[in-house]
Amino acid sequence: MTRPFLGFGLGLRTEHYQFVLDNKPDVDWFEILSENYMVPGGKPLDFLDKIRDEYPMVMHGVSLSIGSTDPLDMDYLNGLKQLIHRVEPHWLSDHLCWTSVDHTNSHDLLPLPYNEKTIEHIVSRISQVQDFLGRQILIENLSSYVTYNNSEMTEWQFLNEIARRADCLVLLDINNIFVSAHNHSFDPLHYIQGIDSDRVMQFHLAGHSYSDKLIIDTHDHDVCDPVWDLYEQALKRFGAVSTMIERDDDIPEFDILRAELAVAEKIAAKTLSVAELKISHAKASGVA
Amino acid sequence: MSDLKELQHEFLNYLLQKPSSITNNIISDQQLSAQGRLDMYAHGYRLRLKEAIETDYEQLHAYLGDETFDRLMDHYIDLTLSHHPSLRYYSQGLPTHLAEIEPWKETPELAEIASIEKAFCDSFDSADCIAASVQDLSEIDPNSWPNLKVKFHDSVQLLTLEYNSFQIWQALSDEEVPPTRAKDSTTWLIWRSDLISNYVALAEAELSALNTMLAGGDFSALCEVLLDHYEESETPQQAVFLLQEWLSSQMICNIAITND
Repeated sequence: MTRPFLGFGLGLRTEHYQFVLDNKPDVDWFEILSENYMVPGGKPLDFLDKIRDEYPMVMHGVSLSIGSTDPLDMDYLNGLKQLIHRVEPHWLSDHLCWTSVDHTNSHDLLPLPYNEKTIEHIVSRISQVQDFLGRQILIENLSSYVTYNNSEMTEWQFLNEIARRADCLVLLDINNIFVSAHNHSFDPLHYIQGIDSDRVMQFHLAGHSYSDKLIIDTHDHDVCDPVWDLYEQALKRFGAVSTMIERDDDIPEFDILRAELAVAEKIAAKTLSVAELKISHAKASGVA
Repeated sequence: MSDLKELQHEFLNYLLQKPSSITNNIISDQQLSAQGRLDMYAHGYRLRLKEAIETDYEQLHAYLGDETFDRLMDHYIDLTLSHHPSLRYYSQGLPTHLAEIEPWKETPELAEIASIEKAFCDSFDSADCIAASVQDLSEIDPNSWPNLKVKFHDSVQLLTLEYNSFQIWQALSDEEVPPTRAKDSTTWLIWRSDLISNYVALAEAELSALNTMLAGGDFSALCEVLLDHYEESETPQQAVFLLQEWLSSQMICNIAITND
């Protein structure tokens, strides 16, 4: 598979709508939070359409709840399908987690036990989702704070096995690897080395916060140096992968985020060749 | 998947501060206990729901102050599960919570301020439509007018308040000291035009007219209801005037002649 490379993007946030429209900043693409636009109408969709006219987009969701034992939420999937039709994203992603059970939503990305039974459950559900949407989806690794005692493998083995069997793609969150490595005492480089290269379609970068004993995935700080170092290792392992910075709280001025994205561009330029970093907006077969 | 279902059910119970056996499924280590790790999620659950409520009820927050508003949010969260995948809809039940549950219902302007903020939230992202125009109305054969019906924009809402809560909300929005609660029964019209939410207090005649047309009444029914407010000879003219006002305000999506 030839991996399409969109270049370097940012998460589209309401605070920056007007700035983006007025200034058309030099950003290769935007990632939108799908649920913010699964509304009947009004300003969110108006801004979305105007910005989509100017920039490539990908969609990123938080409520697919692919690991839940509740039935798939068909209302949600229908809404997602409508939004896909509107946005025509290069791809869409959600998390390898569960968010709801007993028809109650936690609005959090909750971890799963890494074992064969869970793999079978999730592979079946991803296949249903991909069949319904008529396209592959990307599944993202989490930051997590607990380990279940019935887990039988590493998280990267779990993620690989699901991606292979469901024939889905992977959104690798470099910050989440760093956070989980600290919280569960593993070497983040083992994670990077362990992931199947050919399924990684996108990278996330983000900041985090320290609590007393754990690191919390808060997306409210700049990307820290150890995560930049890990990003460089990921580029060496996977090559050119579309990269974006997620900022969800304490959101700074757009130019500050743009400057942070330039750090990613600089690291990529240092690590990869010009030819590798050539942007391709071509839609890969089976992806878009 | 019964094991996974049970595990998820117990995990959720922990988040909801109900009895839960989930700690038996989580590894404790030197870094932190199972309970300490699960508390990260329990804390995050409440925090996210509070952020959603705070976003939707900014002026109610200002009216109550931080401490009381936080107590209200805790009370609401204790009694309200989220059944929608988007946090956008979690706080929709707050006006009812305030209107029906002690101690909040003893302060009736609270539910009214909340209902104002909810109405603006609903107006903000309600479905779009291309507004019909006065020109569209003029193109309809006058002989068909008795059977004329309209479809209003989804953002159009009528809000009947018993107190001066709109004035309280307005003062809070302007960062001014709000007036003391006082009886003031008024119905407010809220709608969106050009992506901006609007509001206006309604006179009795327009309220009756809007209620009639929102309920699916036609132009004949509109004229009939206006008989309670105007001389018979004036009602067709007043009805046309109101239709033109609503069209100019982009409140109407569609005009149709129906024979049902």
